[in-house]
Amino acid sequence: MLAIRKPGFLNRLYLIEIIRGLWITMKNFLFHKKVTLQFPEQRRDYSNRYRGQHYIKAVNGVENCTACMLCPTVCPAECIHIVAGEREDKEKYPVKFEIDSLRCCFCGMCEEACPKDAIKLSNIYEMSQQTRTVYEKDFLLEQRGNK
Amino acid sequence: MPKCTIDGKEVEFKPGENLVSVAKRAGIEIPVFCYHPGLSVVAQCRMCYVEVEKMPKLQTACSTQAAEGMVVKTQSEAVKKGRAGTMEFLLLNHPLDCPICDKSGECDLQDNSFGHGSEFMRHSEERRTYVDVDMGPVIQKNMNRCIHCTRCIRFGDEVAGIHEMVAIKRGNNIDITTIDGKQLKTEYAGNYSDICPTGSLTLKDFRFKKRAWMLKKTPTVCEGCSKGCNMEVQHEGNVVYRCVPRENLEINKYWMCDEGRFNYQYVQDPSRIVDPMKKAGDSWLVARWEELLSGLRTDAAGASVLFLVGTDLTNEEMKAIQDAARALSPKIQIQSFGTPGVETSGQDGPRDQILKMKSKTANLKGAESLGISPLLGSAKSDVVVVFRGGRAELPRIEAKKAYGVGVFLEKERNFFHAILPGLSFLEKDGTVINHQGVPQGMKRALLPRGRCKSTGEMLMLMLNQRNNEVTA
Repeated sequence: MLAIRKPGFLNRLYLIEIIRGLWITMKNFLFHKKVTLQFPEQRRDYSNRYRGQHYIKAVNGVENCTACMLCPTVCPAECIHIVAGEREDKEKYPVKFEIDSLRCCFCGMCEEACPKDAIKLSNIYEMSQQTRTVYEKDFLLEQRGNK
Repeated sequence: MPKCTIDGKEVEFKPGENLVSVAKRAGIEIPVFCYHPGLSVVAQCRMCYVEVEKMPKLQTACSTQAAEGMVVKTQSEAVKKGRAGTMEFLLLNHPLDCPICDKSGECDLQDNSFGHGSEFMRHSEERRTYVDVDMGPVIQKNMNRCIHCTRCIRFGDEVAGIHEMVAIKRGNNIDITTIDGKQLKTEYAGNYSDICPTGSLTLKDFRFKKRAWMLKKTPTVCEGCSKGCNMEVQHEGNVVYRCVPRENLEINKYWMCDEGRFNYQYVQDPSRIVDPMKKAGDSWLVARWEELLSGLRTDAAGASVLFLVGTDLTNEEMKAIQDAARALSPKIQIQSFGTPGVETSGQDGPRDQILKMKSKTANLKGAESLGISPLLGSAKSDVVVVFRGGRAELPRIEAKKAYGVGVFLEKERNFFHAILPGLSFLEKDGTVINHQGVPQGMKRALLPRGRCKSTGEMLMLMLNQRNNEVTA
C-alpha cells in the first residue's frame, strides 16, 4: 500500500523553492552574456557562405554576366528573367537582368550554375520591403556586401 | 538480306549501306560530325571510328560499307582512345564560349565532347582566331568555332545547287568562307545553320533570343507552299522563336526553304488583327462577336453571296464552311483562292529544283478534293465572305459588303467592312493535302491570340445564334 507523505511546514511555504528559482533568473540576468543585440548599432557577423542579397560581379565596370541563361534554367523558383543582347565591346550581354525578390528562395543554385562567376549571393540580409520588388540589373551591379 | 554483327547484335542491312546508318537501326549511336545522311560522305572529321575485325586499323564508320559477316565493335578500348584523340584535336582551337553560343544545348560538338572527350585539356597555347565575313541576312558566321566538317560546302553543292562556300587555305590556316567573301545567295540558307555541328553558322533571326533547351517543340507542317515540308515549331510562352525542318524522306528530306522557315513571323506580327473589328467611316472599331456574327448571318442569307475559301485553310475548316453555307442558304457560291496564276493543281509545279512549289498555299489539293472550284478574276457579288488562313493572296473584291474571316494584317483590312479574327496555322489542328496527295496533320503549337476564334467555332456560333444572345 502506498503511503502519501504530507509535506512539512517549510515545504508548504514554498519559500526556499521560490528563492532557488529566482536565483537562476538573477544568475542569467546579471552574470551571463546577452543573447540579443542592439540591432541597428550592433550587427552580427554572418558566415561568408551566408546566402543573402544577390549581386552581379563586375570587373573594370563590365559585368561578368554573358546572359548564358543557366541561372534562369536552374532556378527552382523561376525568379530570374534575362534578355540577351549584343553591344560593341561585348558579344553577348544581359540587356535586362531581373530578379523577382519575393519569388526567390535564396537556394544559391544560380551562383553554383554560373560559369562566369557573375551572379553571387552576398551576405546582405536587410532586405525587408513594403512593395513587391524586382531587382534590376543596375541595382544588382551595386550590391556587394562585404565581398 | 545480308547480316553483320555490331557490338554482338546481328543487324540486317541493304547492300551499300554504311555502318553509321546500320548501327543506328540497331540502336547503337556512332558519334559523327562530317557525316550527314542527306549529303555525300567525305570521312574527314575522323570521329566515327569503329573497330572492324580482320582490319588492322580503326575504320571510319561513315565510309565503310557493311558487308556480310562483318564484325564491328564500337565500344572497344582502341575505339574509345581514337575518339578521345579526335575530340582533343577538334577542341584544340575551339573557343570555350558555350555560354555565348546559340548552338549550345543542341551542339554535336558539346554532346560528343561530353560523351567521348576528355575532361582535361593538355594544351595551353593561344587559340587560332579569325575575322568573320558577313554572310547575309540569314546566317551569322563565327569561324573560330568551326571544326571544318565541310557539311556546309557539301550542302551548297549537292542540295542547294549553288557552290558558294569554299575552304580556302590549308592546314592550320584553313578558312571556310564564301567565294570572295560574298553574301549567301541561296534561298535555303537556313539549312546551313541546321547542319552545322557547331555554332559556326547560326541564324541571325534567332540570335541570342533563347537557349535551345528552353524551347518547346511541336511537330507540324509548313504552310509556305504546296510541298508540305515537315517542320518543327520551337516556341516558349506562346511566342515562336524558330522553325526547323523535320526529316521526311518522301517530301522534304532534311531541308526547308527560308521562306517557310521565317513564315511564322506574321503570326506574331503586332499589326495582326486579333479583335473582331468593323469599319466605321474611315476608322476601325473593335466590335462584339455577336454583333458581327449576326450581321454576317443576315447578309449571308441574302440574294447574291460568295464565300471565298483560301487554299491555306485546312480540310476540316473548308468542310465546315461548306456545311455552314449549305445550312444558311442553298444559293451561296463557294470558290477558292490562293496564288494568282496557280488556280488548279494542274497548274502547280516545282518552282525550283529543290523544294519550292508554285502554289504559295498549303492545301490546294485539299480544296479540289472537296469540290471547291477556283475563283477566276476578281470576286464580284453583293456580299463576299473571305475565309483565309493568312497566306493566300487576296483577290480583287468588288462587293457591297465584304467580310474577312481569319488572319489579316492591318494593311490588308481595307478591302473589308468587318474582320472576324481566326486562327493561323500554328494555332489550330487540321489536315492539309500536299501536291503529291499526301494528307498531313498540322498540330497546334500556340494558344490563340487576343479574341481570335477558330473558323468552326465562329460558324457554329453564327448558325446557332438567337437574337441578341451574348456569345462572346
